[in-house]
Amino acid sequence: MYLESHGIAADLPPGWEGSIEVERDPDAVSLAELGGVLRPVTHLGTFPLPRDRGDFGSGAVDVMGGEDAFIALVEYDPAEASSELFASRGLPRSLDPRAFSSQALQRQRGRQAGWQGFFNEGGRAFCLYVVLGDLDDLHLLARKVEQVLAGIRVEVER
Amino acid sequence: MTIVVIALSVVVLLLSVLVAGLLRSHATILRRLHELGVGLERDPGTTASPQVPRTDGSVPPPRDVSDGRRAHDVVGVDPTGAAIGLRTVDVDHDTLLMFLSSGCTSCEAFWSELAGNGSIDGVRVVVVTRDLAEESTSAIRELAPEGVTVVASTGAWKDLEVPGSPYAVLVHGRSGRVVGEGTGASFTQVKELFLRSSHDHDGKARADQRRERELDRVLLDAGLGPGDPSLYRPPTEPR
Repeated sequence: MYLESHGIAADLPPGWEGSIEVERDPDAVSLAELGGVLRPVTHLGTFPLPRDRGDFGSGAVDVMGGEDAFIALVEYDPAEASSELFASRGLPRSLDPRAFSSQALQRQRGRQAGWQGFFNEGGRAFCLYVVLGDLDDLHLLARKVEQVLAGIRVEVER
Repeated sequence: MTIVVIALSVVVLLLSVLVAGLLRSHATILRRLHELGVGLERDPGTTASPQVPRTDGSVPPPRDVSDGRRAHDVVGVDPTGAAIGLRTVDVDHDTLLMFLSSGCTSCEAFWSELAGNGSIDGVRVVVVTRDLAEESTSAIRELAPEGVTVVASTGAWKDLEVPGSPYAVLVHGRSGRVVGEGTGASFTQVKELFLRSSHDHDGKARADQRRERELDRVLLDAGLGPGDPSLYRPPTEPR
């Protein structure tokens, strides 16, 4: 399955589905109405992604199982790309399972574990947020996510 | 001259016997290969797996699920133009694809009904329209029911050979096969139709499990456990 939109492309391996759309956060939408720009949000998961979900997966991670994984790739203002927070270069392609923890989740849920990383690529600023379904299966699930990360391409900011 | 003709006739006769022998041995080889399962028509990408005795106690999975044609995942855009890809094949859940259009009058009842009650327990309901370029995008945005995923994908219509709208296709996630399709006057009617189809499917699975348990019991009573080589002998082989 191949998805492409907003200068982001994802070639998904079997078992994954997703979407690439503009952010839905009410504050961002309000700002956009005042002349701001809505940035793309990419959601990828190994489970049926519900229609109503937040930019960082609220509503989606609530329904994911222990064998599932969820990825949110959220873009920020390109002006932030050179800031300290986004200093790391390039989308992370490999993940350290030890970096995942239940503390990194927006809301702690069952045995889920999360990890968040910030980086710049092609002059664009991104946050990569990954949620794994089971703390006891971090190595396997992280490898699953790496398979997807290997197939994501980010175009240079125009 | 006569001698040459006779000699040539003998040569031709000998060659004919040789060709007949070769054809016969070729037919024998093909028949043997066929018996081993090689060369049978299969889905692309699958390979023949020879039946070998198992000693690990596991039971081989069914070779194929013959019921229903193969379904396809759905890739397109949502009414806002966002790229969206939905997995319907090789997943644990079933998917009911409702093929609707912004222009068809018969679809109106479906759109309004889906807005109020677009969910079915254990089944993911997805509305599929044609590409936004072929639909009224503004109408689709207005019609899109709250909480129901709407995908514009002419490709999905072609993949599943949808004859027109409204039309429903129920995909069994685990087998990746279409287990029901058709249409009705309303979404409620379609739900009733497909829930029955789904229950029939579950019923068959339960019946298969019952039969399997009964066969296991009979075999175990006869002293034949999992992996017993006698279970894998061809039925024609003398015992």
